[in-house]
Amino acid sequence: MLEDTIIAIATPPGFGGLGIVRLSGRKALPIARRIFDPAGRSKGPFPVSRPVFGTIRDPERGGALDEAFLTYFKAPRSYTREDVVELSAHGSPAVLEGILRLGTRAGARLARPGEFTLRAYLNGRLDILQAQAVNDLIRSVSLPQAQVASRQLGGSLSRLIKKLRARLIVLLSRVEAGLEFPEENLRPGAAADRKTLDRLIGDVRRLVASHETGRALAEGVTLAIVGRTNVGKSTLFNALLEQDRAIVTPFPGTTRDFLREELVIDGVVFHLVDMAGLGRPAHPVEKRGIAKGRKIAGQADGLLIVLDASRPAGEEDARMLRKYRGKIAIVVLNKSDLPRRTAKTDIRKLAGDRPVVAISALKGRNINVLRSRISAIFAPGAGREEEIILHTRQKDSLQSVLEALERARSLLAGRSSAEIYAEEIRSALRHIGELTGEVRTEEVLEDIFSRFCVGK
Amino acid sequence: MSRENDFDVVVVGAGHAGCEAAAAASAMGLRTCLVTIHLDTIAQMSCNPAVGGLAKGHLVREIDALGGLMGLVADETGIQFRLLNRSRGGAVQAPRAQCDKAAYRQAMKRRLERLPNLTLFQGIVAEVVVTRGAAKGVRTLDGTFVGAKAVILTPGTFLNGLIHIGLESYPAGRANEPPSVALAEQLKKIDLKVLRLKTGTPMRLDRETIDWSRFAPQAGDDEPVPFSYRTRGRLENKVLCHLGYTNAGTHAVIRRNLDRSPLYGGKIKGIGPRYCPSIEDKVVKFPHRARHQFFLEPEGMETTEIYVNGLSSSLPYEIQREILSTIPGLDRAKVLRPAYGIEYDAVSPAELLPTLETRKYRRLYLAGQINGTSGYEEAAAQGLMAGINAALSLRKKPAFILRRDEAYIGVLIDDLVSTGIDEPYRLFTSRAEYRLLLRIDNADARLLKYGRDMGLITDETWREYQGKEQRITAALAHLKKTRVKTESGNSTALYEYLKKPEIALEDVLKYGRLPVDLSHEETRYIESEVKYEGYIRKQEREIAKAGKAEAMKIPRDMDFRMVSGLTREAVEKLERTRPATLGEVRKIPGLTPAAAQNIGLHLEIRRKKGIPMASVPRETEPDNE
Repeated sequence: MLEDTIIAIATPPGFGGLGIVRLSGRKALPIARRIFDPAGRSKGPFPVSRPVFGTIRDPERGGALDEAFLTYFKAPRSYTREDVVELSAHGSPAVLEGILRLGTRAGARLARPGEFTLRAYLNGRLDILQAQAVNDLIRSVSLPQAQVASRQLGGSLSRLIKKLRARLIVLLSRVEAGLEFPEENLRPGAAADRKTLDRLIGDVRRLVASHETGRALAEGVTLAIVGRTNVGKSTLFNALLEQDRAIVTPFPGTTRDFLREELVIDGVVFHLVDMAGLGRPAHPVEKRGIAKGRKIAGQADGLLIVLDASRPAGEEDARMLRKYRGKIAIVVLNKSDLPRRTAKTDIRKLAGDRPVVAISALKGRNINVLRSRISAIFAPGAGREEEIILHTRQKDSLQSVLEALERARSLLAGRSSAEIYAEEIRSALRHIGELTGEVRTEEVLEDIFSRFCVGK
Repeated sequence: MSRENDFDVVVVGAGHAGCEAAAAASAMGLRTCLVTIHLDTIAQMSCNPAVGGLAKGHLVREIDALGGLMGLVADETGIQFRLLNRSRGGAVQAPRAQCDKAAYRQAMKRRLERLPNLTLFQGIVAEVVVTRGAAKGVRTLDGTFVGAKAVILTPGTFLNGLIHIGLESYPAGRANEPPSVALAEQLKKIDLKVLRLKTGTPMRLDRETIDWSRFAPQAGDDEPVPFSYRTRGRLENKVLCHLGYTNAGTHAVIRRNLDRSPLYGGKIKGIGPRYCPSIEDKVVKFPHRARHQFFLEPEGMETTEIYVNGLSSSLPYEIQREILSTIPGLDRAKVLRPAYGIEYDAVSPAELLPTLETRKYRRLYLAGQINGTSGYEEAAAQGLMAGINAALSLRKKPAFILRRDEAYIGVLIDDLVSTGIDEPYRLFTSRAEYRLLLRIDNADARLLKYGRDMGLITDETWREYQGKEQRITAALAHLKKTRVKTESGNSTALYEYLKKPEIALEDVLKYGRLPVDLSHEETRYIESEVKYEGYIRKQEREIAKAGKAEAMKIPRDMDFRMVSGLTREAVEKLERTRPATLGEVRKIPGLTPAAAQNIGLHLEIRRKKGIPMASVPRETEPDNE
């Protein structure tokens, strides 16, 4: 157990129904005893992991500060693996800061941001991936992100990385044994090594790719609404948001700049972007708007390509669909409340294998269908059991692993000496070690723990 | 009670560690006494008759570059020389020599006897005299006190040594030699943490009773590569080794008799080396292997004893004979010395500083098997470092600590001190993070300067090295500036051409001679530097980054109580010593490596956030209510 005892307010700043002050360390219990009087019973030992009702009191002046529940978590069965005491009082900053002051006067010191989690890490309760997951969970903006973080807090990613590491060690030990014991005539197993390498490369590559999903979970998915002018993009924008955000007129080219709003479907954040139509610009302002829009559409995670059902599909529609061939998209057939002027076969031909949803943005028809299609197609694969990499730093390390393994594979095919091939596998292992904290660099740890807030 | 003269340094034990320690300390000008149980067994090779091999050959080169003796003596008494991994790259090549054991002992003894500041003394040390936390000398069993300002303990397997053959056991430091019992007990009394380890040695057979036609001969190299930079003249191969295999019959005998093995019968409590397993271990751990190989190695020129490398065992003698009877060619072989296992005490290397001084007692140094290592070369390397550091300490000079990126010696000692051991420790090249940098072809470039600073490397050796350096520089410059058209018709610098894995320097030379003549060693150096270049640069960058962390400044008013993860004891030590950099923190006795890491993390967080070191309010602050 660490030497000093730390204290912090664990709930967010401001006024709230409840506020929690947390203590961790060797003196957590004696400090709590000094400032907390349990109600209606003698000063027996506090029960473990069960709240006790009582009063927070200034031990010197005797005044009662607040009523509170105290919960004692006995080491090592606590968040930090140290003795932890949580005081749950009324959520006024004055009360909570008062408790803090009593705590520090009784011998605790103010915790720094992330110090509780740091202690959990230093005491071996969490590994570095789990510590990171704690922060992800606290800060998750979407339900799927929270689910991924929670799974990783449970150690899912740690286990996966450990398995990768174990496989790398087997691979390395095969080549090292040949290098270290040249007289044992160990048979080189280049074919077996290549197979192992191929599988490892595949697995690591999938993990690296999952960061796209992870990023989308953390930052939200950008969805751009594109289409010719006057196909009803802004109407669709408003309909999806269920508010009149964009100005809608019957005139083509009303939207000149672009608009961006948050849309939440099933706990996932989508950044919905409405922009100027892609027709021929008449006005310099509109020109600028279109250029900007094109850039956004090009960088978006997905597109809603809007067609007008009441007009025959033209060359411009076809060109647009060709232009965004590489993008995941839903073809939205708007104005389907009006008499249809586009042949179904034409639409099919235009859309290719993209899903088509016929709606009327104006009448709100089929908007719910569109929502669920958006969720099904664009929501990051949170329900999947595959692991998802949430952090760029983690992805970077895995990318380095991948590159080292790919170099190893080409060395295996070439005529280089085995120790160079071994060097690449060793390099892959070092980068794996960065993820799990086996290779400890203070910079990496700083990067992780500096993101925490006080009280966690 | 008699009293020997006072010395600066007393070394206890004249094995491979003790000899290097005594030689280094005395060559550095300190009056040194080397106490040994028996003056005739100085530098005894207790197990195999060979020096070197992967990582171990590297160590010997490093010892040599620092002015140690092992390489010189191995070259002088070698009877067969091989460079291992010749077909691989320079980083994983290492020399190995079969040595004449008797000649090795005599050659080492002769060298020690000639050292002006060194006194050899026969006696059994019973006690290290420590007063007020510092070593003051040793006392022998007969009561003689040998005073010294520093004590280096290198007792090998002698501390509470217990030999096992089958279920029989008897106390001994080596077969038929008395163990050190009193000293072992005293070390426990002075509160050094003691571990129990185990090792073993195979039987020795009579050369005349082996049917040699049954075994494949193994010759030495045509062009032997010496260990030492100072060896002159051609090395000569005088003997052959032979390769043989066990068979199903052998394994059946072993399996049938496992209950008579002290290890599998549960009698041995000590932990044995995974990397040097007994034949019982191999049969049990690899049940599907149809055979295990062994080598028949002559123990010397003047003896018929043959060492059976690979058949180490602690089974009863009659079972050892039964094992031999299953192997065609050994079925009539006479056993001159039975194989045995030995348990012995070692001190946990967590007790040590990187100088090999104990954390608890000033100027008490430990080296060799007492620190949990196995192998002559590992022992010699520690002995040399302990000897040098004892001398430096007495001279009040800064300690000599090699980093992991500059020597295998650094890897070895750092592994021991920082990580500790749970089985006898053997060095491997794979233990080095920067393997491509730690080569036999550049041991002089890495370490000779230190040897020279210590006064252990002569001007002559240094001048020769400078000549080598100049030739290499000239050759590299030539390779870089000379462009040629290769078969493919492209113009390329010779330097780049040499980078191709299949191209040797020899192949490059068909495009014109170099301005200088290179030795084999210099050729290998150039090949390594060119072929590894990309990796070397990358590793150098990593090292520079790590070095920056070491140099991280600790503010003078730093409040160590603010660092998460420090014990009160650690905080007190830090407040007393006030280290200026993170590197200094690592050298504070009694601080764990984790403590240094936590301080590093703390500093990093503070630096990034720009928070002054003691800004958080503390309980001592006046209450401003």
